[in-house]
Amino acid sequence: MTISWLQAAILGIFACLSSMPGMGGTSIGNYTLGRPLVAGLVCGIVLGDIQAGVLVGAAMQVVYIALVTPGGTVSADVRAVSYIGIPLAMLALNSYGLSASSEEGIAMATSFGAMVGTLGTVLFYGTATINLVWQHIGWKAVEKGNFKKLYLVNMGLPWISHILCSFIPALVMCKLGVPVVEAIKTALPMDGLAMKTLFTVGSMLPCVGIAILLKQVVEKAVDFIPFFFGFTLAASMGLNLVSVTVVAGMFAIIYYNIKMIGIRAKEAALASGGSIDDDDDEEEI
Amino acid sequence: MAEKKLSKKALNKSFRNWYYGNLTCFSQEHMQTFGYLCAMLPLVEELYDTKEEQKEAMNTYTAFFNTEPQVGAVIVGITAGLEEAKANGNDDVDAETINGIRAGLMGPIAGIGDSLVVGTLIPILLGIALGLSTGGSVVGPIFYIIAWNLIVTLGMKFLYTKGYELGGKAVDVLVGERATAIRESIVMLGTMVVGSVASTWVSVTTSFHLVNDAGEEFLNLQKQLDSVYPGCLTAAFVIFCWWLMAKKRVSPVVTMLILVVIAFVGVLVGFFNPGLKY
Repeated sequence: MTISWLQAAILGIFACLSSMPGMGGTSIGNYTLGRPLVAGLVCGIVLGDIQAGVLVGAAMQVVYIALVTPGGTVSADVRAVSYIGIPLAMLALNSYGLSASSEEGIAMATSFGAMVGTLGTVLFYGTATINLVWQHIGWKAVEKGNFKKLYLVNMGLPWISHILCSFIPALVMCKLGVPVVEAIKTALPMDGLAMKTLFTVGSMLPCVGIAILLKQVVEKAVDFIPFFFGFTLAASMGLNLVSVTVVAGMFAIIYYNIKMIGIRAKEAALASGGSIDDDDDEEEI
Repeated sequence: MAEKKLSKKALNKSFRNWYYGNLTCFSQEHMQTFGYLCAMLPLVEELYDTKEEQKEAMNTYTAFFNTEPQVGAVIVGITAGLEEAKANGNDDVDAETINGIRAGLMGPIAGIGDSLVVGTLIPILLGIALGLSTGGSVVGPIFYIIAWNLIVTLGMKFLYTKGYELGGKAVDVLVGERATAIRESIVMLGTMVVGSVASTWVSVTTSFHLVNDAGEEFLNLQKQLDSVYPGCLTAAFVIFCWWLMAKKRVSPVVTMLILVVIAFVGVLVGFFNPGLKY
């Protein structure tokens, strides 16, 4: 498997669209095209092996299932994971003769993706820094009352940042991919310590993604119970994800109703205490 | 003077500008400020006739802004409603009120958006999509593309419109007790689903086993552990990572590096062995 200049260029354009401050917008760019699962499909179509693409994308998606970017800080860059990591992982799997559906293949793909994604944060900060130049132009335009220019500043000029920080890196990395992967293959034999470590890390990395998500919702030990409830439903009782969602939905409704009893009791107490409650019409929103 | 009313066309244009452009010109310094300016521009142009008035109105929105852009559409809607009230000479609304509401909402909305959209909705949709892509099937990604874009586009449009209709009144709805109850319930659902995602898609296993003199295996650690609680090694690693990041304030990148060290040592002592050959 090789990547032609044309294929690398197409991947480069997708990298521009899908970054966190990307040219495809947040919903369609970052949260659709930037998700490794979707990117797996795109890379699969571009490189001509849809099945392998989706498998690699799915493996990497678990690592980045909760890529939250609180306050604009990132721990991994989606454009790098999705449009550099996935193509390189596909090349590597092909070169090692591993199947993308095997456990080893998945571990290898996730290690590759995480490595590239972490290095890719450089691209994120690069894009954001170059954008400062366009914003400077924007402030001048606002001062002069030349508002039409805002559209150019917000939606046109950042393309230049992306050509430098998304298109070119993706193009070069994907094009160089084959020799790089070949070099790694000769330098590091599969049963050596380095490769064993790489694959072991690959199986552990998704834990970080899950833990980032838990960090948001778990404050004390009791908050772990819903997590383990879901874990047990799947691991011990063998339910699939849709079934777990249904069971969890039932519990969410119960929880909501219990909360509402408390809120209504409080409101009733307030109302009888003489205060006027006129918020009822806003309830349905 | 006739009452000024924003046209559907201007509101749609404002929404589209936000929907697409909320983060296109992102920088660490101004974040979503320029996206916000672009979203307000069609409205300001329609509400004020003279250049001076337009300039003054736009000046309100040059203040720093950053929130979760999907749920944040509601804030843009609210300010659209407020700006209309201001243009009609409503004394209660001035630039300061608008900026106060805007600045006061962006924090809570970022919290709501990050936990509900990024932390719950997306993982659930992706979890289902992962289940559908078993064996490399394209159904999974296609399901996610359609479901996510449908939900988020309609949802953002709904929030924007509601925000515009309610104006300042929307604040109580968004940060009130009822909203908190709904949010907590949904987050609980999300946490359960993430638990099942962890057990279905993550698998940390040990190859540690002991053999007796006759070469028969008498201890297989993985089997022992699974008989205590299936998947407990995976769960232990998730909690370990959570403990590092939440309790020890270790960054995700450093956490990954710690895992590399653990994996290296584990492979050396024979605790981990992916068992690969060419």
